[in-house]
Amino acid sequence: MSDENNDKKSSSDLGSWLNSMGAPVSITELVPSEITGLDIAPILSMLGGVGIKSGVRGAQAGDATADEIRWLPVLRG
Amino acid sequence: MSSSLLITCGAEPTRGSGTTPEVVAHFLESLIQPFGFFQPTHGLLGELNLLRGMKSLLSPSQHLEFESVQQLAQAISDLDSISIALRHMDSEEFAIWCGLGRNNARTHLLQLIGEMNQARNRIQGAQLQLDFMHNRPSAKALFRSLTQLALVGVVCESRQLQQAWLMSTETSLSKKWISKFESIKVFSGYGVLLEVEALRFVFRVKWKGVGECEPAIGLFRNQLVIDVGGVRSFVELPAACSRMEPGTVRLSKNKFEIDLSVKESEWPRS
Repeated sequence: MSDENNDKKSSSDLGSWLNSMGAPVSITELVPSEITGLDIAPILSMLGGVGIKSGVRGAQAGDATADEIRWLPVLRG
Repeated sequence: MSSSLLITCGAEPTRGSGTTPEVVAHFLESLIQPFGFFQPTHGLLGELNLLRGMKSLLSPSQHLEFESVQQLAQAISDLDSISIALRHMDSEEFAIWCGLGRNNARTHLLQLIGEMNQARNRIQGAQLQLDFMHNRPSAKALFRSLTQLALVGVVCESRQLQQAWLMSTETSLSKKWISKFESIKVFSGYGVLLEVEALRFVFRVKWKGVGECEPAIGLFRNQLVIDVGGVRSFVELPAACSRMEPGTVRLSKNKFEIDLSVKESEWPRS
């Protein structure tokens, strides 16, 4: 995976994005984690067409995105 | 519910730069400005590369064109996802940190949410038209796309489908496929919380044929997320579920149930 893609993935939550845009660290430390972890991929896409995937299922640990969807085990009857 | 909106799927959309819906530009400008580290310009806002589908859905046009049924379903899913994210932003402390009380930003946020709600209502009542003259998917792929579309609440009439198919191939759909397509039912978007025994509940969601589309099911705050191939639908959970621990999902042909258990220490009963 290219560095560019890594950068895109790592900035898919609000906290990372704020940091990458130069926001003071004090802001992200004060905002609750569930807010800084909010997936802003759709909004970033609006800003510049950044190709971030939102909430990819079955992704590897390193690919996990921060939209906090908790996928549940499914038993098929 | 009906609207005068016509949505065409399968026709190549007209290319063009398009314009960012004004309310979106206002919102982003107001949201970003208070941080002081990013000065948006009109040039930037004018060049916003909104996802094509999102831009189309928010536009006031009476005729929207999508490349495929799948693209339409994905755009509606994206619209719902962003709408939920924006509502969370408005309801939590983030609103204060962003200075949403200043610069009319909250006004724009609420306006944008309102525009999204309006767009959703227009889509629900829209007339859907399929056009496979340039690109016709396989019946199997189309079945999956129409299932995704049904998940986000949009129905495709069987007659319209058969007509589009016939015009593209001069061959009628087989009875088997007609029957399969007619079996697709629009997802109602509702579920009920049922008490099984003391401290044990299930949240039951009925949707005809859900067992055949192999959905992934998850929770996001107070929302149940149903995902079919990346297209998502959301169901708001009763407030009581926030104090329950989810277990497994039992999926059958026409419904699924999520096991939920209550920690008595968090929910004392008389």
